[in-house]
Amino acid sequence: MTKILFRGFLLCLPMLAAPQATAPSPGGYVGSNACKTCHADVWANFYKNPHFKSIASGTEAPEKTGCESCHGPAKAHLEAGGGKATIRAFSEMQPVQVLNGCLACHEKQIGRAQIRRSSHTQADVACNSCHSVHRPNSTKTLLAKKQTELCYGCHNSVRSQFAMPHKHRVNEGSMQCVDCHNPHGSPSPTWRVGLRPRMVETTRDGEEPCLRCHTDKRGPFAFEHAALRVDGCGSCHSPHGSMNPRMLKRPVVFTVCLECHNGATSFGKSGAGIPTQSSSHNMNDPRYRNCTTCHVRIHGSNSDPQFLR
Amino acid sequence: MNITHRTTVLLIAAATALLAQPTVAPTPEPVGRARGEDAGNYNITNSFELGYRFHSVGGNEDAYRSDVNFGNGIRLLGSTLSVNSKEGHGKFFDEILLNTQGLGNDPYQFSSLRIQHNRWYRYDMNWRISDFVNPGLNFLPTSHAQNTRRMWQDHDLTVMPQSSFQLLMGYSRNSQNGPGLFTQNLFDQHRGDEFPIFADINRRQREFRLGGQIQSSRFRLMLMRGWQRYEEDSPLSLGASMGVNTTDATELSSFRLSAPYSGDTPFWRGNMFGEAGRSLAVNGHFTYAGTRRDFVSEESAIGTNRFGAANNRQFFVGGTGTRPVTTANLTFSLFPVEAVTITNHSAFHQIQMNGNASMTQILNGSSGLALVEFRQLGIRSIVNTTDAMIRPAKWIGLRAGYQFSSRRVESVEAETIGAFSDGTNYAQTNRVHAGLLGIRLQPVKPLTFNFDAEIGRANRPFLPISEKNYHAFGARAQYKQGSLLLSAAIRTNYNTNSVSLFSHSSHSRNYALDASWAPRRWFAFDSGYGKQHLNTLTGIAYFASGQFDDTQNSLYVSNVHSGHAAVRFSLQQRIDFSLGYTRVQDTGDGRSLLLSGTGAFPEFQVLPLSFDSPQARVSISLHQRLRLNFGYQYYRYAEEFSALRNYRAHTGFTSMLWSF
Repeated sequence: MTKILFRGFLLCLPMLAAPQATAPSPGGYVGSNACKTCHADVWANFYKNPHFKSIASGTEAPEKTGCESCHGPAKAHLEAGGGKATIRAFSEMQPVQVLNGCLACHEKQIGRAQIRRSSHTQADVACNSCHSVHRPNSTKTLLAKKQTELCYGCHNSVRSQFAMPHKHRVNEGSMQCVDCHNPHGSPSPTWRVGLRPRMVETTRDGEEPCLRCHTDKRGPFAFEHAALRVDGCGSCHSPHGSMNPRMLKRPVVFTVCLECHNGATSFGKSGAGIPTQSSSHNMNDPRYRNCTTCHVRIHGSNSDPQFLR
Repeated sequence: MNITHRTTVLLIAAATALLAQPTVAPTPEPVGRARGEDAGNYNITNSFELGYRFHSVGGNEDAYRSDVNFGNGIRLLGSTLSVNSKEGHGKFFDEILLNTQGLGNDPYQFSSLRIQHNRWYRYDMNWRISDFVNPGLNFLPTSHAQNTRRMWQDHDLTVMPQSSFQLLMGYSRNSQNGPGLFTQNLFDQHRGDEFPIFADINRRQREFRLGGQIQSSRFRLMLMRGWQRYEEDSPLSLGASMGVNTTDATELSSFRLSAPYSGDTPFWRGNMFGEAGRSLAVNGHFTYAGTRRDFVSEESAIGTNRFGAANNRQFFVGGTGTRPVTTANLTFSLFPVEAVTITNHSAFHQIQMNGNASMTQILNGSSGLALVEFRQLGIRSIVNTTDAMIRPAKWIGLRAGYQFSSRRVESVEAETIGAFSDGTNYAQTNRVHAGLLGIRLQPVKPLTFNFDAEIGRANRPFLPISEKNYHAFGARAQYKQGSLLLSAAIRTNYNTNSVSLFSHSSHSRNYALDASWAPRRWFAFDSGYGKQHLNTLTGIAYFASGQFDDTQNSLYVSNVHSGHAAVRFSLQQRIDFSLGYTRVQDTGDGRSLLLSGTGAFPEFQVLPLSFDSPQARVSISLHQRLRLNFGYQYYRYAEEFSALRNYRAHTGFTSMLWSF
């Protein structure tokens, strides 16, 4: 009973301190000042939160201002002395409800364009699975934890790949998952065909994301290596990490090459498909087994159709 | 928040961050908590971790530098700064956020900065350095090597970020500089000798962006114009050399190659979003980039060929390449009721690479015929995907999808030698039908199950190893109760790509088990085990001693076992201990010795090795604002077939972390 009286007293405090903010609007909105009395721990740092802008601007409509912009009108919550049943509590909401709640403001942003069809949404990974509005690890993105730890939490095999000796420097802090991926969903990967890879974001000018950093591999070259243009860098490399040097899919170079250069397909000038190796090559001699020793410009050349210079 | 409570919050946050910290330094430092100093209308939090790194390497130090690369010296291991206006109405800014890592001389350095003033502007900067060391493969001592530094920086400014009209500006720079080692086959491209050539790598790309965005309550349109400039000038040179083929008599007196390569990429990018009522949303996106790069190459090689005859060869190449890329996609999202979401996504991608090169060779003073080559490679893809998600009840969700994609690849290969011209065109189209089914179950609140299956059929994949007839299956179970998280996952992916003479099959199976638990504020635990199995069998063809052999297979087997465990505990909220261990081991097919196959080389490709990395850290609170840290991390790389690349490295650091 004492507790109830004390709560009631606390609820009355904002009415004394800021009577203009607690006057309920027709929609049952009471303003954020009414919330901070009970939720002092949340309010204490809320000025660091990006959502504080809606309060600071002072021009937003009540349904788009402060706490009630996400949690809905608080009049009933206030009158009931709290409780999750009287307000939109995200911990009680279904993933689709969380998504709809956040997208009410964030859907128009370009990075969220594909969120409705993203793998995360399909697996009911909603916004609050990764973001924590009130207890973020960083106020910049409101992520609940460090980004890699969030991703590794579900993508266990990816964690293993980045622990391999040859990998992109994600664990070292030099890269982040979002350098290549868009966790909010991305368009279909048109640099190859098929459903996968999902959630891989193109560069600003529509290229495969590898070319964002590896600008020297982009070309155009007078002589392109069709494999990497048609099926992407993943034809030869494992982008997260590999037990093989240079993140190649095979431990030695010649098998990477010979598995395609075997005459099995029918595209290209040689007539027998992707060119088989020259008869002057002798695979009994180890010096012919490291193809890129001579075919140095394997990603594309301006001087030689066989990438020799 | 009193000091004890504040310290507790700090420790909990540190524990969470610790489990995510694969490298031992910097020490996790939470930000954004209720601390800091007030200065006028602003609240300021700040922290610096200044320390000394040391390392000791046994074995192949080049391999260590390629994989790990932490060195010795004083570093600003990490720092954070936040300045926030408490009312959201600062004079020049409302927020400054600055984070740095590894400044000084770490191989991996970054800093990020955000400065913003509500309603007026938002500025974001990211700056990164990565020291890239590639010692080359151990299979051939003269294979390529690089010791370069990559640096990236991105600057983005949004003017009036909360208004209905926004102005967007940006600048990015990407560079790579340092020495490199390449190889060149000289005087006879098939039976000549390979020479290691030194290179001074110098590549850089700059990008400027300018755009705008307008929005209303139901509509947003963004349009951006960008300009990229790429420049590369990495001269190669070598003095007198015998080459690396000891059985070949080819000698080189001097070699020089200069091949400047530069060009521009102007691009457009647009995005449109609109919604009609609460049941339909439409999103459209397009990009167009028209790249043009010019190249010139001048090569001079003087020496003797394998018969002892003098060779003086000069090679000149000049030309232009163009590469227009157009992408567009349109997505409709339909929500007839809250429990149903239907999306249809169409994507278009077209790229056309044109290159012409004019080549002239002067051999021993005699000029050969000029060769003019023209190449064109065009790729056009059209994709349409429909996905549906239905949630009939809280405990069940269903999803299904179908995708059709069509890709046409065309090429033109033409050359002109003197008065002779030749040219041929090729084209092929690949159509893929793929379907997806999934179900999510949540029988009780802490427990969820996810299943998904995918099947695809392609009628003409481009590469023998591309996906043709494939199916994939995935399942995940997760139990989350309080601070306890248990999860298990399996994912398989099988592909078969068979043609008349050669076939390719690939089977991958991934398994994972993870557990994390933080029962007390002073104790947290995290561990996991995963296995990744891959076996591929592909028909190959090659020449050996003049005989063509197309009866062999390339069989690659990889069984990667990985495990990690981390525990963190604190004593009397004063001393933090953390211990971690990561191990990755590829057991190959179980063999411990390299065996020969029936063909010219070991056809069975395996590379059994292990990579271990235990670590420990102690963080002692000397004062409310001061911590003393010690850390140690050990790396061990061990291949079973050869010890050439193996190394063991002891790395450590000691630092002071000051925060307020």
